[in-house]
Amino acid sequence: MPAINKIVLDPLSDNNPITVQMLGICSALAVTAQLPTAFTMSLAVTAVLCASNTIISLLRNHIPDKIRMIVEMVVIASLVIVVDQILKAYAFEISKQLSVFVGLIITNCIVMGRAEAFAMSHPPKEAFLDGLGNGLGYSAILIIVGFIRELLGFGTLAGLKILPESYPGNGLMVIAPGAFVVIGLLIWLQRTVTKKYEEV
Amino acid sequence: MQKDDLHTIRFAAIICLVCSMALAGVQGTLRSTQERNKRIDEQINVLKALAPDFSPDGEALSEEKQEEYFLIGKVPKEWIPTYFDEFVEQNEIELSEGDSRILYQLKNPEGEIVSYAFPAEGKGLWSTVHSYVGLEPDLATIRGITFFDHGETPGLGGECSKPWFQRNFLGKKLWDNGEPVRFEVAKGSADPQTDYKVDGMSGATITGNGIQRFLNKTFREYNSAAFESKRAM
Repeated sequence: MPAINKIVLDPLSDNNPITVQMLGICSALAVTAQLPTAFTMSLAVTAVLCASNTIISLLRNHIPDKIRMIVEMVVIASLVIVVDQILKAYAFEISKQLSVFVGLIITNCIVMGRAEAFAMSHPPKEAFLDGLGNGLGYSAILIIVGFIRELLGFGTLAGLKILPESYPGNGLMVIAPGAFVVIGLLIWLQRTVTKKYEEV
Repeated sequence: MQKDDLHTIRFAAIICLVCSMALAGVQGTLRSTQERNKRIDEQINVLKALAPDFSPDGEALSEEKQEEYFLIGKVPKEWIPTYFDEFVEQNEIELSEGDSRILYQLKNPEGEIVSYAFPAEGKGLWSTVHSYVGLEPDLATIRGITFFDHGETPGLGGECSKPWFQRNFLGKKLWDNGEPVRFEVAKGSADPQTDYKVDGMSGATITGNGIQRFLNKTFREYNSAAFESKRAM
């Protein structure tokens, strides 16, 4: 049984779902043009991950093997719809900006991946912590990318003017390819610092 | 094997039942809040187009406040019911046989009509762009405009919902000497002297063309006999 600290802390850097496992890239590109959307998306994904990991872990001894993935999908989809409904009711502005990407959490490989790789074979407490760790790892990258893109793209942070009025804004940062560049640089930076990479 | 299949079917049925009941419960609980949000959002957009310079409490608004409320769209939510109950009238006007459309009117506390607004919508690049256009009492000059609820590229076509683009339209004319004009969204900057041309969005030619097309279409439709009679009044 891996130590609890390791379950939560590993996905933050050494086994980060975005920069190391290369999962969840789609939403990391789509919702990180500004900080508030990146932050809300992070919360939503973390909540779904924790809940889906816990529920699937509770059911793990009863789920028939033949329909294992369908059951995981049903649980994840239901949770995502709940999150989407809550956002529409209590965070209408942000849910409008996130639009279809909340629904697309269903297809976020991190959620399904953690259910298959971890929750199916671990007890609920560890599964919950694994969900939390991966959620935080995902959030960390989203918020860093959102920070860089909003600052360079619009000269603002969470809508507040940070750079002088004369800053023209960088169009590349506003569109998805900008996120690719930022994530690529982050991966480079992370591997240079941690020295953990595959030897060719 | 037989026993296995039975277990599988039973498990699937239970999961489906539990999930659907949970979702129905959540939906039922939250529906009224969601519908209220949608209605308020719609009404804020109508108000942005009507762009009044008075507040429901009778105070005149400073220019900064007007900008914040009616261009940026941060109308205080508690104003919305008062506005719509007391000052905004939703009318139907008949543009031609069997074609009646919505026309909002904003009246000031003295009962005079301050502005009109009507919806317009059409295709941009990726999505349908929704809009309300507000007119001065002369029914020819744009008083306020809003583009909302679209799926255009953020930073390019998505700029149409930004204040800078919408500010562009204020004071422009839809009619010149009683003749409808051909309204234009320019590529790049518009000549500031023209009354019916606005700055375009760079990198979003197709969104701009779409907006130009559906605005002209709607302006032509509303510029009918029904409108003429209003203007004569």
